[in-house]
Amino acid sequence: MKKKMKYMIGLSAVAFVAVILVAADHIDAPSTAGTTADIADFYAFEPSEGSDNTVFVVDLQSDVLPELAYGTFDEDVLVEINIDLDGDLVEDRVIQAIAKEGRMYFFGPATPLQTGLNSEVYVDEALGDVEISGASAIVETTSDGVSLFAGPRQDPFFFDFFQFNAVISPELESAPGGFLPPEEAADTFDGANTMSIVIELPNSMLGTPTATNALGLTVYKTWVTTNKKQ
Amino acid sequence: MKLSKAIYISAVAVSFGWVVGCSNDDNGPYMNDDDGMMAVDFSGTYAQVDHLGRPGINTTLSVDMDGSPSIKDAHNTTIPSEMAASFQAGFQARLEQYHDVYALKLGLDPAAVDYENNILGLDAATLTTVLAADVLEVSPDLPTTYFNPGTDFDNDGRILVPDGDEVALTGRHPNDDIIDVSLILFFGGMEGTRFSGQDLDDDGMADLPRLTSDGVGLTATIATTFPYLGNPE
Repeated sequence: MKKKMKYMIGLSAVAFVAVILVAADHIDAPSTAGTTADIADFYAFEPSEGSDNTVFVVDLQSDVLPELAYGTFDEDVLVEINIDLDGDLVEDRVIQAIAKEGRMYFFGPATPLQTGLNSEVYVDEALGDVEISGASAIVETTSDGVSLFAGPRQDPFFFDFFQFNAVISPELESAPGGFLPPEEAADTFDGANTMSIVIELPNSMLGTPTATNALGLTVYKTWVTTNKKQ
Repeated sequence: MKLSKAIYISAVAVSFGWVVGCSNDDNGPYMNDDDGMMAVDFSGTYAQVDHLGRPGINTTLSVDMDGSPSIKDAHNTTIPSEMAASFQAGFQARLEQYHDVYALKLGLDPAAVDYENNILGLDAATLTTVLAADVLEVSPDLPTTYFNPGTDFDNDGRILVPDGDEVALTGRHPNDDIIDVSLILFFGGMEGTRFSGQDLDDDGMADLPRLTSDGVGLTATIATTFPYLGNPE
């Protein structure tokens, strides 16, 4: 009986999400899914080994399905890259990006006047701006050595997402063998595009982190948010 | 009636004064563009609607139930320092549910198939506590790897079991296979291969499900120079 109860609870909980399209963060929640403010993905990396720069990539929107918003940056959506230096999970630096009249404007890295869910644009801390690209990349490099880009790009995310939905389905005959071997698996995002914002900047502009990861290595703790004009 | 009219007039007066003030004020929410001619308006308050740190966490470990407020929406509007308290228990329950689903598909007792400590040595409560705080860690001065379970970074012959000197969780590059890493952390157990399609009785057929890799790699074009991503297709 106890076993059956656990079975029923597990089954019903999983059933509700089994058919929802999910991916890295593409289309992840009811109120943002498929909108111009939907964050598709987030990358943060060292551009080359030994580099003193860090690259942040924020992907908004996706054309992986036809009915999704895709192709234009919303001028009422403010993107924020948050950077926690001391590991308390509260942002110590913020980089902002917002589109206006065909250009993407960047601000910061700024020490936030207030942390949390509401923001204003840090107009006193302009970082630079770049023309929003079409099919070919237009890149701006500032006198501080900051590189800026905004425009459509190939979505590099890869995932056999349809098989994932089969895997998590509680139907007993659904994918009993799990995922497919490489010769049968398919990347659902092959051929998909996204609206990317890319910024590369010297670590010296971000500050010195004291936070550590699960292996004890020194790291910035970062996250990206989208924020709608009220 | 009179009172509300008075409030309305004063509100208009305040906002009018504020706009005029800003247009003559270098500290206002306006910025001149490159030619210095046209002011760009950045005024307003912006309220958070979406959040992302580590990829795939909200999508795979948050569960929305019919008739209840959306946990996925709540996750997107919760600050990271409050995420573990709000979401860890639900994430852990979800992780166990995934194991139950496969126990049933294998004809096993769901109560007997549970999450096992993973290659990082994390138990279910610790792993879901780490993941509930949805942030992406990036090292300022170490090579970026989300976690490459196929690389023996320190050349000590140990690939999957961390022994204190691995470089991992130092960022996310577009070619990092973050789905496989997540699957290994969820379903791989101590060696990272617990459910990986093993043929236990050597009959040429897999006896355990393949849950530690989705079988796909990077298909998009990426570049080694800024902006690192290929032209749209």
